[in-house]
Amino acid sequence: MFRRTLLHAAGAAALVGMARPSLAATPLIDEIRSRGVLRAGLSTFVPWAMRDKQGKLIGYELDVGTRLAADLGVKYEPMPTAWDGIIPALLSGSFDLIIGGMTVTPAREQSVDFTEAYSFTGIAIVASKKVAPGLTTLEAFNRPTVTLAVRRGTGAVTLVQEKLPLATLRQFDDDAPALQEVLNGNAAAWLTSTPKPAFAAVDHPDALYLPLEKPITAQRDAMAIRKGEAATVAVLNTWIAARKADGFLAERFHFWFEQRSWLTQVQS
Amino acid sequence: MLAGFIGFVIFRVQTVLNYRWAWASIPNYILRWDPERGWVANLLLQGLATTLRLSLWSMALASLFGVLIATGRIAQNRLPRLISGTYVELMRNTPPLVLIFVGYFFVSSQLMPLLGIDAFVRGASPEVLQVISVAFGEPRLLKNFISATIVLALFEGAYVAEILRGGIQSVEVGQWDAASALGLTRWQSLRRVILPQAVARMVPPLGGQTISLIKDSSIISLISIQDLTFMANDVAASTTRVFETWITASAMYFAVCFTLSLGFRKLERRLAR
Repeated sequence: MFRRTLLHAAGAAALVGMARPSLAATPLIDEIRSRGVLRAGLSTFVPWAMRDKQGKLIGYELDVGTRLAADLGVKYEPMPTAWDGIIPALLSGSFDLIIGGMTVTPAREQSVDFTEAYSFTGIAIVASKKVAPGLTTLEAFNRPTVTLAVRRGTGAVTLVQEKLPLATLRQFDDDAPALQEVLNGNAAAWLTSTPKPAFAAVDHPDALYLPLEKPITAQRDAMAIRKGEAATVAVLNTWIAARKADGFLAERFHFWFEQRSWLTQVQS
Repeated sequence: MLAGFIGFVIFRVQTVLNYRWAWASIPNYILRWDPERGWVANLLLQGLATTLRLSLWSMALASLFGVLIATGRIAQNRLPRLISGTYVELMRNTPPLVLIFVGYFFVSSQLMPLLGIDAFVRGASPEVLQVISVAFGEPRLLKNFISATIVLALFEGAYVAEILRGGIQSVEVGQWDAASALGLTRWQSLRRVILPQAVARMVPPLGGQTISLIKDSSIISLISIQDLTFMANDVAASTTRVFETWITASAMYFAVCFTLSLGFRKLERRLAR
């Protein structure tokens, strides 16, 4: 998930002078251990984090957070937060860190520190069989007659502007209306984070197809933490390395991103 | 006529939208069956409860702010007039989204640590926690809830103040003169002569403002208060049933606001008598 918003910037700017001074005194990791609770901010994005039929939070990030807390010997407390305000909420101390599939970007690194990446996603394209049939190269979409639907403030917007400058760009507030626009035949294709394009093609086999086999770009997702917590970042990096080595992260990633047996937990 | 229009819209939506309607998963997100506890409120109903709690406390607090500011606005001294006037104009002429966003992070990071809410919740007895969850929702999120209530009340208070001031000043100046001619002090005139007339004029706009507050409270979802809008967003994203979820959430807002509308209409009639 790669998003930027004006509010992000505004909120972060408003908080520059407000960082809590008490935090510098004890390392965050000690505070978490003595409190016995790991509070992690996240936002609902399928399949990173979502609600099951019981209203419980499930998803890749929940598995990562639960395991991290268990390994630290503390309780895991997910804090659902609106994505637009997640960095300001972290900076104001509403939670300890963000475990929410946040993509590492230079702009975000200005206000938060990132751990090593623990999942790798990308931006992919799914196209309409009716409006743009039979295209197999990215270059084929770089024409003024081609309308592309993307979600506002995401990496997909930057991607279209850089790699498909001739195409007509239409931006939406959310992924669902962007997909709907392609289904309605008003746009040729939808660009967004993997695995959504692949899942959409499976859901609407009559209307959609995947023009490219691989994602167009790759991105790294990592945990975000307030600046100046080097000791805590080191602990988290050690944990990520260990869970990469024993295959836990890869296995969970496979479960949430590469197949959809979890779908029955969400929809009836 | 209305039914025909709605039917036409539904027909057009069906033909234009390539959308497969599926309402099946929605009712479960309002009420769900728990094998141990029977029927329990799920996300949407929990969200509605938060919206109602938030609206109730904000309106109470906004009324308090409103009375204070309105008193300042009609004061004879220039200083309170200047302060309250600045407040009202500042609140009314800046976008609520920015006010809420910046105000919230200021309140929650500067004001809340001073009040020691987190420490209080951690040390509270089970009985106290029980009271907190009924009145304010989940104790763990009390800090956020109070911050949001204060911010929303600060914002709505400006409008309440203007309604109160408008009501008082709409009473003819002659009434003040007559009251003072009878030997009443300024406070006595206000309480015995002006307010009884003004209140009847304030009720309709105050009702409108209350309803407006309930709907405005949805922007609080941006700062992660898990109100109806926040929950609807979560449900819509999780189930991918976007239209169904939002139509359901709208119906819930409508039910609450319409009930209030009827209540205020009754109150107006009683006061008009």
